[in-house]
Amino acid sequence: MKANPLSMNRRQLLRLSALSTAALGLGGVGGLMMSTRSARAQAADYKALVCIFLYGGNDSLNTITPTDATRYKQYADVRKTLALPQSSLVALGNSEYGLHPSLAALKPVWDAGKLAPVFNVGPLFSPLTKDQYRKEPETSDLIPDALFSHSDQQVLWESSTTESVTRTGWGGRTSEAMQLASPVVSVGGNGRFGVGALQVPLVLPGWPGASLKVDGFSSQWQPQQVGEQAMRAMYGAPQDSDLADAFTRQQRFAFEVSSRLTSVLEITPGGTGATAAIDNAFASLITPPANGNQGTLKTDLSQQLYQIAKLIAANDRVQGTRQIYFAQIGGFDTHDNQIGDTVLNGRHAELLKELGDAVAAFYNAMAGIGYGDKVTTFTQSDFGRTFTPNNNRGTDHGWGGHHLVLGGAVKGGTTYGEYPALVLGGPDDVGVDAWELQGRWIPKIGVDQYAATLLNWFGAGAVLDTALPNLKNFPTRTIGFV
Amino acid sequence: MSQQDAVRLAHQATFGPTEALVADMQTKTAADWVAQQMAATGSRYGSGGGDVVHKYTEQGGTYCDTAAGKAIPNCWRDLYSSWPLMGDFYKNAVNNGDQLRQRVAYALKQIVVISAVDIEGTYGMRNYNNMLLDNAFGNYRDVLKKVTLSPVMGDYLSNSNNDKASPNENYARELLQLFSIGTCELNLDGTLKTGKCVPTYNNENVREYAYALTGWTYPAGGASPWGCWPQGTNCRYYTGDMVSVAAMHDTQARKLLPVTKTVPANTAAPQALELVLDSLMAHPNTAPFIGKQLIQHLVTSNPSPAYVQRVAQAFSAGKFASFGAGRNGDLAATVAAVLLDTEARSTQPARTFGRLREPVQMFTSTLRALNGKTDGEILGWWWGETLSQHIFRPPTVFNYYPPDYPVAGTPLVGPAFAIHNANTAIERINFLSYMNWVSTASDQANAATKFNLQPFVDAYTADLGASPADATAKLVDRLSMLAVGAPLPATARSEAIRAVDAWTQNNAGDSWRSYRVQQAVTMVFGSPQFAIVR
Repeated sequence: MKANPLSMNRRQLLRLSALSTAALGLGGVGGLMMSTRSARAQAADYKALVCIFLYGGNDSLNTITPTDATRYKQYADVRKTLALPQSSLVALGNSEYGLHPSLAALKPVWDAGKLAPVFNVGPLFSPLTKDQYRKEPETSDLIPDALFSHSDQQVLWESSTTESVTRTGWGGRTSEAMQLASPVVSVGGNGRFGVGALQVPLVLPGWPGASLKVDGFSSQWQPQQVGEQAMRAMYGAPQDSDLADAFTRQQRFAFEVSSRLTSVLEITPGGTGATAAIDNAFASLITPPANGNQGTLKTDLSQQLYQIAKLIAANDRVQGTRQIYFAQIGGFDTHDNQIGDTVLNGRHAELLKELGDAVAAFYNAMAGIGYGDKVTTFTQSDFGRTFTPNNNRGTDHGWGGHHLVLGGAVKGGTTYGEYPALVLGGPDDVGVDAWELQGRWIPKIGVDQYAATLLNWFGAGAVLDTALPNLKNFPTRTIGFV
Repeated sequence: MSQQDAVRLAHQATFGPTEALVADMQTKTAADWVAQQMAATGSRYGSGGGDVVHKYTEQGGTYCDTAAGKAIPNCWRDLYSSWPLMGDFYKNAVNNGDQLRQRVAYALKQIVVISAVDIEGTYGMRNYNNMLLDNAFGNYRDVLKKVTLSPVMGDYLSNSNNDKASPNENYARELLQLFSIGTCELNLDGTLKTGKCVPTYNNENVREYAYALTGWTYPAGGASPWGCWPQGTNCRYYTGDMVSVAAMHDTQARKLLPVTKTVPANTAAPQALELVLDSLMAHPNTAPFIGKQLIQHLVTSNPSPAYVQRVAQAFSAGKFASFGAGRNGDLAATVAAVLLDTEARSTQPARTFGRLREPVQMFTSTLRALNGKTDGEILGWWWGETLSQHIFRPPTVFNYYPPDYPVAGTPLVGPAFAIHNANTAIERINFLSYMNWVSTASDQANAATKFNLQPFVDAYTADLGASPADATAKLVDRLSMLAVGAPLPATARSEAIRAVDAWTQNNAGDSWRSYRVQQAVTMVFGSPQFAIVR
């Protein structure tokens, strides 16, 4: 336990330097590539699902918006100052919709037929009409628990159930039901999505270069070797409490993962072991190595998706031919000041820019390493937001929302589901009375159907009803977007 | 109290045992010690700049871009961020005697959450956190009132300048969901009324509360280069309580919970707030909802329903033994009920008992046990971020973790397990390695956060001279008695002794005794017994 002062100083420096990378400039990476190593030998039958959770509840009405004259007017009349100008929307060819201008990076994916917007998805026990919603008691199975609440709706999306007390996520349950070699791999924290009955998600650092090494382990120094053995033995012993047993399980798992994945996690853009195709795809988001500093990525989500790109390129180390990944971006709870000094800037615009740029880079990276049709990326979020803005230039909590699915296997270039009728108190609005006319949409597609479509492609067809216990309530089990 | 009782209570009620604290506690009963702690004061937040950040009118950016601001070194850090308060927090936690007050304020801080992720203005966050210290043993109704009127909370959850025309629902919703009654109807013992979630409120209730809470703006005193917006409101300003603006306050009759309670038409904002608070304090959920979370923050993640019920009764009665003033919501009574309950004090805890020590408490308890000192700096952007608990910067109003996070492989919940994973499991060990190194490396003499292991090295050196065969066991046991109140279990203890003895003059030179102490620290403070507070 010495404590190698040199290595400690270096680690410390790396950590601190990573915190100040925002100050560094932008430059090309092409000439800096240390390695053009191609992706590892591809498993003939490999597939990965990548979930990006938009925490806080994304305003999906301002994410993808109708462009036809009738509905655009309905939208603009209600959204008022929050309405995106029609001319600013990024037109999706052969459709009546446009993306928020911050998502322009996704237009080529649409044009290639690999981006599928899915409309009005949300937690449902079974298909639900407005009439049923109004008549059922609040305790009815048909009404999902704690609608419009962040934490609860996150649980319902991540677990694909309608009960807020659900412990397991649909990623975790799928992993256990398919007996996958790896649990859900998260670079965005411990979200319920990856929790199984017995299995925790494998949560890895969210930024490239972060180490997963245990100081003093794998040492050549005899007393440190004894220290490692002693620690492993301590965590191997049965404990006198359930939480301590869970703690030691996590500790042993962490040690095993450390030796297996550290070398992949430590790869930085333009650094030793970097994959040229990944770095090229992320180039506009990379600050290349310079002056002794490692290459870094400019946004939190691009860091996370770069991590996932590396792990997919090294999928043999993650283990198994079916892998589920989880990333996240927060800050979507735009109750006030959703927009900046114009509707085209401000918080929501910045968040969508971070999302669109990172997701487009990731999509290109997967194509670049030959995994384009093996990886499907999709969004989830607490809920959509109210159609009616509030008085603070923001929007409140809704229910159904629109989501984006992309990847080489996606049947994109077209939209799925029905865009809600943009009418306050209309057929898709939960509200009837004057006090409640905010436009909170009753979903037309359940999270179960959305998840089942993804899992069906993933090869989980045999365990769909185990992973998604309410799927049996839906006559149409899958939506066909992939 | 026995040594083990004292160490257990110290883990529940302080930021960690020290040898001196444990010795003092052993001379008292738990109830007497708790009573003395409730009378203790002293910790304040005092660092950082003042309210100038909300009083300037020069165009062209933040206060730090003005001529006066440019003259201040580290302007943003010291006037806008939570950085100065982090130093206060950790210094107070490691050094000050009013430990229980700080622990309860820290628990409240994780229930009525604000975050420097979204709030800028050091002085405002300083006010808010001092308010929690002041009210730690006060009444929860007063906490809710001060929280609701806090301009910092008003800004954080959008209730400042919330207008009766299309009000936003942000604060009203979280006031109900997080700060008072929760989303599901509870029995007094904290269990779900019917075993399933029966909603405590619906969206109409949220809107009614939102309307009732309209009509508040910042206290007077602020100024801004852009003027104050919207018209008729005060500029953003974080000193004092928010003030009402009649023109923005809804005056229709509003239904509260339960439906028999209302805010009558034409009620002014201050009176409407009192009615709102009355309705929440009278709601049968509030006592078990808040009481159970205090148990989880202080004692155990999975309290028995009977324990929750006893605490909820103390909350409602405002009285527990000699503690409390007898008014619903009394926090002295509630905290005493939490800490002095037979379940908290049991010497034979059930397998389900305990809680994962969260990172902030791992930082403070290792520093306190090992004679450490800190200025807080490395515990924020470095180790706080690394371990997902950067004090003052929880990601959202939902805190660092939810109270019901499931522990896979068990039927239990473990709130802090929501920020414990493969990555942080390793970093907890690396934190101990780093602290051992920074505390002893010759070029780190000026490190502001470090242990002082010398007293342990000196004692160990003396023991080696007196009785070399027993010295290592004595070292490991001394640290264990301090860290967990008992010797480590057999395997961990024998492995710790083996690992300590692996360091010799031959392989480590003259520092071998120091390395032995460091090895003992790693094993004892890395042990599952230290990680899971029982």
